[in-house]
Formats: sequence, structure tokens, C-alpha cells
Amino acid sequence: MMENAWIIPLFPLFSFLILLVVGKRLKESSAYIGILLTFISFVYSVMVLFDRLNAPTLKAEQVWLTVGTIKLTAGFEVNQLNALMLVVVSLVSFLVHIYSKGYMHGDERFPVFYAYLGLFTFAMLGLVISPNLLQTYIFWELVGLGSFLLIGFYFYKEEAKAAAKKAFIMTRIGDVGLLIGMILLFWEIRSFEYADIFAAVQAGKVSETMITLSAILIFIGAVGKSGQFPLHTWLPDAMEGPTPVSALIHAATMVAAGVYLVATLFPLYEASHIAMLTVAIVGGFTAIFAASIGLVQTDIKRVLAYSTVSQLGYMMLALGSAGYVAGVFHLMTHAFFKALLFLAAGSVIHAVHTQDIEKMGGIWKKMPITAPLFLIGTLAISGVPLFSGFFSKDEILVAAWTHGHTVLFWLAVAAAFFTAFYMFRLFFLVFTGEARGDVKEVHESPFVMTLPMIVLGILSVVAGYVNTPWFGTFLGDWLTEGTDMHAHHEAPSWIMIVATAVSLLGILLAWLMYGKKSLSRDWLSSRTSIFYHVLLNKYYIDEFYQLTVVYAAKVVSLLLKYIDRFIVEGAASAVAVLTQGVGKAGARLQNGQVQMYGAVTIIGLAALVAILALTGGYL
Amino acid sequence: MELETLLQYKWGIMIPEFIILGVATILSLIDLFMPSEKDRRLLGWFAFAGVMVALISLVGLLPVEVTSILEDTFRLDSFAKAFKFILLAGAALVILLAMDYQPAEGIRYRGEFYYLFLTALLGAMMMASSGDLITLFVGLELLSISSYILVGLRKKHVRSNESAMKYVINGGISTAITLFGMSYVFGLTGTTNLKDIAGRLSAIIDMGQQYLLALALLMLFVGLSFKLASAPFHMWAPDVYQGAPTPVTAFLSVVSKTAGFVIVLRLMIYMFSGTPAEGTNSSSMLLSMQDYIAFLAGATMIIGNTIALKQRNVKRMLAYSSIAHAGYLLVGFVTMSMFIVDSIWFYLVAYLLMNLGAFAILQVMTDKSDSEDISQFAGLYHRSPLVAVAMGIFILSLAGIPGTAGFIGKVNIFLGAFVTEPAHYVLAAVMIATTVISYVYYFGILTQMFFRPAVEQTPMKLPLGVMIVVIFCAIGTIVFGIIPSIAYDFLNQFEHFGDFFS
Repeated sequence: MMENAWIIPLFPLFSFLILLVVGKRLKESSAYIGILLTFISFVYSVMVLFDRLNAPTLKAEQVWLTVGTIKLTAGFEVNQLNALMLVVVSLVSFLVHIYSKGYMHGDERFPVFYAYLGLFTFAMLGLVISPNLLQTYIFWELVGLGSFLLIGFYFYKEEAKAAAKKAFIMTRIGDVGLLIGMILLFWEIRSFEYADIFAAVQAGKVSETMITLSAILIFIGAVGKSGQFPLHTWLPDAMEGPTPVSALIHAATMVAAGVYLVATLFPLYEASHIAMLTVAIVGGFTAIFAASIGLVQTDIKRVLAYSTVSQLGYMMLALGSAGYVAGVFHLMTHAFFKALLFLAAGSVIHAVHTQDIEKMGGIWKKMPITAPLFLIGTLAISGVPLFSGFFSKDEILVAAWTHGHTVLFWLAVAAAFFTAFYMFRLFFLVFTGEARGDVKEVHESPFVMTLPMIVLGILSVVAGYVNTPWFGTFLGDWLTEGTDMHAHHEAPSWIMIVATAVSLLGILLAWLMYGKKSLSRDWLSSRTSIFYHVLLNKYYIDEFYQLTVVYAAKVVSLLLKYIDRFIVEGAASAVAVLTQGVGKAGARLQNGQVQMYGAVTIIGLAALVAILALTGGYL
Repeated sequence: MELETLLQYKWGIMIPEFIILGVATILSLIDLFMPSEKDRRLLGWFAFAGVMVALISLVGLLPVEVTSILEDTFRLDSFAKAFKFILLAGAALVILLAMDYQPAEGIRYRGEFYYLFLTALLGAMMMASSGDLITLFVGLELLSISSYILVGLRKKHVRSNESAMKYVINGGISTAITLFGMSYVFGLTGTTNLKDIAGRLSAIIDMGQQYLLALALLMLFVGLSFKLASAPFHMWAPDVYQGAPTPVTAFLSVVSKTAGFVIVLRLMIYMFSGTPAEGTNSSSMLLSMQDYIAFLAGATMIIGNTIALKQRNVKRMLAYSSIAHAGYLLVGFVTMSMFIVDSIWFYLVAYLLMNLGAFAILQVMTDKSDSEDISQFAGLYHRSPLVAVAMGIFILSLAGIPGTAGFIGKVNIFLGAFVTEPAHYVLAAVMIATTVISYVYYFGILTQMFFRPAVEQTPMKLPLGVMIVVIFCAIGTIVFGIIPSIAYDFLNQFEHFGDFFS
């Protein structure tokens, strides 16, 4: 199985190509092609994962291009991390394919949607099996393209267009960092291969400064992709895309690519203390920062988006605290419960036709499948014991504590409290209490939509048990097999108690305010109104960018506009005129008379001979 | 020469040529005795099969060491083998196109269509293998004269006649100049054998004689640039390409051009790369004359790409694009890097695939309507999406967009311009700039196909032969674009054509 793993990304690519050609004719039955082909990918991925459990890492490459003495290769690799990622990505993609059959029903561009899903899935699967930085970068950009197309799927909506553009530009800023970092590494090591990079780093061939510099530059790429502070603002806006897309791309897979990249390059980061610290601080700060914004948002998808940003921060914090297993573990559990939450949210939006949680409420009984599933997802993300998020979050806290990041540890604990609070605030406002909007017509979603949610619901509960301090750390042991990393950090048991306590406390507070309503809703906001407004406006980051970066850019652009108009444009039109002039003159010379053609040849030859004679033989 | 010596030669190495010769002879006889109202389609398949058998026999000859027979006039070395593959493959595809060529007024001499392709191919193959100026010239003329007739094959079509006339006259001029150049070489060395010429030229140290030799080089190059359709001998190309039957145009732009590069490489490298050039810093005559060729390459790229901007007739546009591609190929020649033959070979393969594919589709597009205006392509995507996608692949490859064979070929040549000493920055810059200019007219076709409403709604049906060509070329363009290592693995067996001089 493993030696044929390269075939996995090709199935979604076929789906994309087939739908591109015949999609128009197939109409809504396009879905079956997409579902079938991603299902094959998924089954194949599972088989590869089982193979990998007992077999060593497999890497197969072929020379792709030879430039002088440097050989660029292309191929694939199956190690523990990407075997796991293959299953996660193909599973979530497969479920989203099924779900979209119901959610996108009736959309005019239904086949196009499935074609884009195929393209994205291909790129994401290709990304995770890439054995070198160059190939990773190509797929990295392709994933960005898929995301761009899908965010802007409703291109007739101004917001969607703006969001797609913003996402593309913000991530591109990060990508510049990645590209420079990549080139720096190539400069030093003369190879894009991960294996060569790690070998060179371990052998001490690369200077400490260079490692730090390239690691941080590459991290900037990850910051852009994974929506970390300060490049996070595109992710909430990306919620303009269809909800299944938010679940697939902006919760489970693509945004995790940044975390995946850092995890893949972990040996590089480990070699630089400063780089590790940067990752930890950015991650920890993003976790609390995004969680605090999530406290006051009123759009169901935006709350989830900020929670995604915050959870990705957790993963970065874990990696920065040498908690490789914790980061990857949380990446996996988060993929399941966040995809679940988004799909459930989509199901709610599908039923009530609004995204404003102030206009929802009291639909627990009307959506008997969606509601409990959403609750499961909420419990998992809040870190309530026995759910998957509890185990993975606990691992992260342990990693931060044992690595000595005391401040970051307490920040993460606070973020956990916030998370529990805003998630249950969301839950109580949407499902319990009185109906505040027009919710008479609310029905449970069709089976094609609930089935994927049920599968994810089950996974959100059980996925945590592959790595627990009680029943054994299978995942950790397996992931760290053959490396000198620790599968599990021994930690004081009070950490788990504190984590549980803050999450329960958050839930309790949310219940008091939004469930039982024994505390007035503006009890907190009226007391801290400045703070409330700061949060509501997302720390004014967008406004800050508007005032500084955008304003400065505008001034510069105005200046450049004049340079452009008078100098560049002048030069450009001169070139254009010249080009066309040459073309015109040439065409005029081509008058169809054969004497002319012969004459041009002879004159040309004569000119060459004359130059030869004048220069005394040679130029 | 006695019979005994004749029999001693290893005639085996000429098997591909014998097969082509045999098939051409048999075809001409059948055609003569066949009732004129009989369908000649079978003859086309016979010609195709003949080329295929020759191709297979060439594969069989791959392991053969470098051999030369007939007093060193015919040699089979890696260079000959590698380029004969391109020539044979190109001819096979062109014959497929010719079978499905149905101009409005019909073609009376369809049988001749097939065997003239074969004789032209035979000439090209002789050129690839020749070790003597005489055989080289005979091969060249065999190719040229066959082509002249082919261009004028639409006897009742005014354009076709005009083209043939222009082609013959220009060909005559070219032959005269080439022969004049050759006579200088012969006068200086007293032999026509390339190996002897190389040996004697390397001993020339007299400045005056070297000056004459430089003149000869220029004349040979200008004369041969007729076949390449490069400056200053490019002007015939648009008129002839436009008037000739489309399969013949395809043949001229691919097979004939390949033969042109074969002869240029063979002559220039053989005769001038070992010749001393006194009074300069360069080690050889060829290197000291590099700047002249570089200038012509730059001019060719500029002329081809800028005039193409003005064209609305797609066949003319492709003619100018063909001129431009000759310019790119000449850049590869000018750089004189270690891998000069490898990179030119690869580019010619890529060019064969993308250009023949484009001509195949163009042939079907223009057959019916007799108009070659670019608006014929309008809305092709809505009429037949698959054909439009295939055409899109060819156009993208011609433009040199990543993921296609054209890109890899261009990158190779471009990098070659940098790795050699001295690096040819100016030439590389011209190459980039003209490539950008070329996007304008290439993408014009894409715009027509994908974003313009269709004039008519009927889907376009590709006949079998054209279909085979399109599919083969599209797959090849993509495969060589994504995994070029296949081609390079194949080239590796020739070890950078090290047996060129042996």
C-alpha cells in the first residue's frame, strides 16, 4: 500500500478534472463523483496508515529537473505524521463532500463547487505527502488558490469578493516569509529535502543564526496560513464562504497546514532556542487574544472562526514548548470537533437562515440531531473531561508547564476558561431559551447532512483515547518512534484538575448568564464597557491596519501613482509603441513580393560580411 | 569501387533509410497503377506503417556503436540516432494529418502526398547521418525539392501555387548561398569529407585564410537559416506557411526545421569548433563568431514575436511563432554549453509535440470554412470542451507556461545562457522580453476559445487520424512538462553525444 501512496491525492484531482469537463451536464449528480473519489482516497489513506503502523518510513523520489549539478526531486514520503494527516484530511474532506450534497442543494454552480472541493483536497493531500520544501511550497500555494476560489464562491456578494481577496493577500504576506526562508535554507544546504536539511542541522553545518533566521521566516508563512497574530484577520472574514468550506478549509485542514509545516520542520526549530520561543509566544498570545475576541461576537460562524484561531494558537504553543506530540494530537482532535461544530452550525444556518445568534434561540427540540451533536462539539472544545479536547488540551498545558513557560501556561489556562465560556454562551443562545427570531419553520436537516455530523460526533468523543495519561499514550509513542523526543511529559496532577476546574467554571458562568439568566447579560459588559467595546471591535486590529498599513500604503501608492503615470507608464507605452512599431514595420516589409524577400536575405548577408570586413575579421 | 568492398559495408546501419526508400518506391508504383477513382486512404496507412517500422528498426540500432560506411560519407552516431527519432516521429504524425486533410476543392494527387513526405523524410534522415558535404547537400536538396512540390499540391488553389513559387525561388537563393559557402571550404581544404575538413582546418594558422573561413561560416549559416526560418532568411515562411496545405505547413515547421538544426549543428560544430581563430581571445573560430549568431538569434526572436502581434490569420501567426521558436533554439546554439545538443534536442521534441498538436486542430478548424481568421476559434470551449482544452495545452506550452514541455525546454535553454562563460545576459534578456510579448498573441487565441460566444453551436468532430495526433501530442506535452526526466533518461544513453567527432 505505502509504495503507492502517491496515488491518494490523484483521486480528488480526477474528480476536479472530470467535473470541469462534464460537470455542467451532470448537474447535481456531480456530487456522487466527488464523494466516490474522495471515499477511495480515504480508504486508501486508512490502509496506508495501518501499513505504516508496522513498517518503517517510506520515501520515494525521482529526479525532476537537473540544473547544473543540483538535482531537484519530486516524490512522496509516508512517515507517522503524514500518514496521520492523510487520514484526517481525506476523512474530513469525504464527510464534507457528503454534507455539501444537502447544504449546496439548489445552488446554480453546484458542479463548480464540487470541482473546487476536489482541487482543494488534491492540493491538501499533495501538501502532506511532499518530501521536500519546494514541493510543499507548490502545494502550499495551490491550497491557497483552492481556498481563494471557495471563499469567493458567492462572488456576486461584495463581502465574499473582499474576503477572498483579503485571505489571498494576507496569506501571501506570510508566504513571502516562507519563500525567503526556503531560499535561505537552500542557499546554505543546497537541497530542499527535509532529510538533507535535518542532517545538515544535526551535523552542525549550518550556523545558529542562519537556523534561527530561516526558521522564523518559515514560521511567518505558517503564521499567515494558520491565522496567527498578527496575520489572523483574514480567517474570520473567510467565513463568507459556504459553511462546508469553512469546516473543511478554515477549521480542519488548510489552516492547520501552518501547524503541520512547523511540525514537519520540528528538528529545525528544535535546533534554535529563539525560534522555539517565538513560536511559543506567538501561539500562546494568539490563543488568549482570539479567545477574548470570541467572547463578544454575535455571528455564529465568526465565534467559531475566532475559536479556530485560538485553538491553532494552542497548537503553536505546544510545538514551541517542545510538545510535538501535544501539538499534533490537538491538531487531530481539533480537526474533528471543529469540523463538527462548523457542520452543525451550517445545519442551524440552513434551518433558520441567519447567522446572528441574537436572532436564534429555542431550537433544541426542533433540531433533535443537530443540537446534541453541537453540544458534543462544544463539550469537546471546552475541554470537559472524557471528551477528546480534554486530553489534547491537557497535553498542551503539560508541555507548556514542563518546558518552563509559566506565563504562557497561565495565559493558556485563562484562554481555556474563555473558550469554555464563549462556546457555551454560543450554545445557550442558539439552542435554549425563547425563540428570538422567526424560527417557526425550523426543521432538522436531511440525512446527508446529519450523517457526517454523527460520524464526527463519535470521533470528537473517542479520538482522545488514542493518547491519554490513563490508558496509554499510543499516539505519542508511535509519533516519536525512532526519534529522541519524549512521547509524554510527566507532569504534576494538579494541572489536569486546574484545567477541568476552569473549563467547568466557564461553563457555569455561561449558564448563569445565558442559560438560567440569573446574572444579567450586560452584568459584565456594563462594568467593563471600554474593554467590551475593544473586544467587540476585535482589538481594532482591522482599523489599526486601515489607519497604518493601508493608509501608509495609500500615501505611498498615491506617490507611486504619479511616478507610475508619468515615468513608468510613459516608458511602458513607449515600449508598447516600439514593439508595435517594429511589428508594423516588419509587417509592411512583408509585402508579399518575393524579390523583397530575396533582397532582405542578401542585404542581411552583405551587412554581416561588411561588419566582418570592417572589424578586421572578428568582433 | 569493387563489388567486394561494397558488400563488406555494414549496410545494416542504413535499415531505417532503406525502409523509407522502399516504402516510397512501392507507394509510387501502386499509385501509378491504381485506378484513379480508388480511395487512396490505404496508401496513407501504408506510409504510416512504413515510418513506424523504420522507427522500430531505429530502436534496434540504438545499441550499435558509432559506425561509418561508404568512405565515411554515411555515419551512424548518437547524434544521428537521436535526431532521426524526432524526424521519424514528426513524419508519422504529419502523415496521419495528411490522411484527414480535406480541402474544399479536394486533392487529386493524394498518393503523391504520401510518398513525397517519405522522400522528404529520407532527405532529412540522410542529412542527420551524413559525414560528407556531398551527401549532406544531396539530402538537403532531396528534402527541399520534395517540399516544393508538397507546398504546391493544391494545384487549383491560387494561394498554394503562389506559395510554391515563392518557396522555390527562395530555396534557390538559399542553395546558391550555401553552395558558395561550401565552395570556400572546399577551396581551403581540398576535400568534402567532414572529418578531413575538420582535421585540415585545425591546421590553418594563416590570418588571410582564416578570414576567408569566417566568410564561409557566415555564408553557410545564412544559407542554412532558410531551413530554420530564422533571420535574415525568414521572410518566405509566413507566405509559404499560409498557402501550403496544412499538413505540409506542419511538416515544414517541424520536420524541415529539425532537419535544418541537424545540418547547422553538424556543420558548424564539426567544421568550426576546432578551427583556430588567431588574434582573438577565443579558442576557436565558432566561439569568435558567436556574437554574429547571437545577433541573428536576437533579431529572429524580436521579428517573429513582434510581427505575430499583428496577425489575425492563425496560420500566419503560427508561422511567425515558428520563426520565434527558431530564435529560441538558436539561443541554445549560441551558448555552446556542454549540453547544447541535449537542450536543443529536448526543445525540438517539445516543439514537435505542441506545434503539431496545434496544427492538427487548426487543420480541422479551417478545412470546412476555408477561413483561417482567429475568430474561427471563438467559443470553441462551448462547442467542444475537450478540443479546446487540448488546444489550450498546446498554446500554453508554446507560450512556455510551467507544467508543459515548452516550459522545460525554454528553462533549459535559458539557464544554458547563464551557465556558460561568458554568460549571455543580453540574449537571455531578449528571450525573456520576447517571450512576454508572445503571451499577447498566444493568449489572444485562448481568449477566443474560452471567453467568446460561439459562432456556431455544432460540436467539432475530429477525424481518427487527427484525434490520434491530438491525444498523443497533448499527453506528450504534459508528461514531458511534469516529468522531463523521462526524456533525459533517454538522452543519457548518448552520453552528451561524445562520439560526435570519433
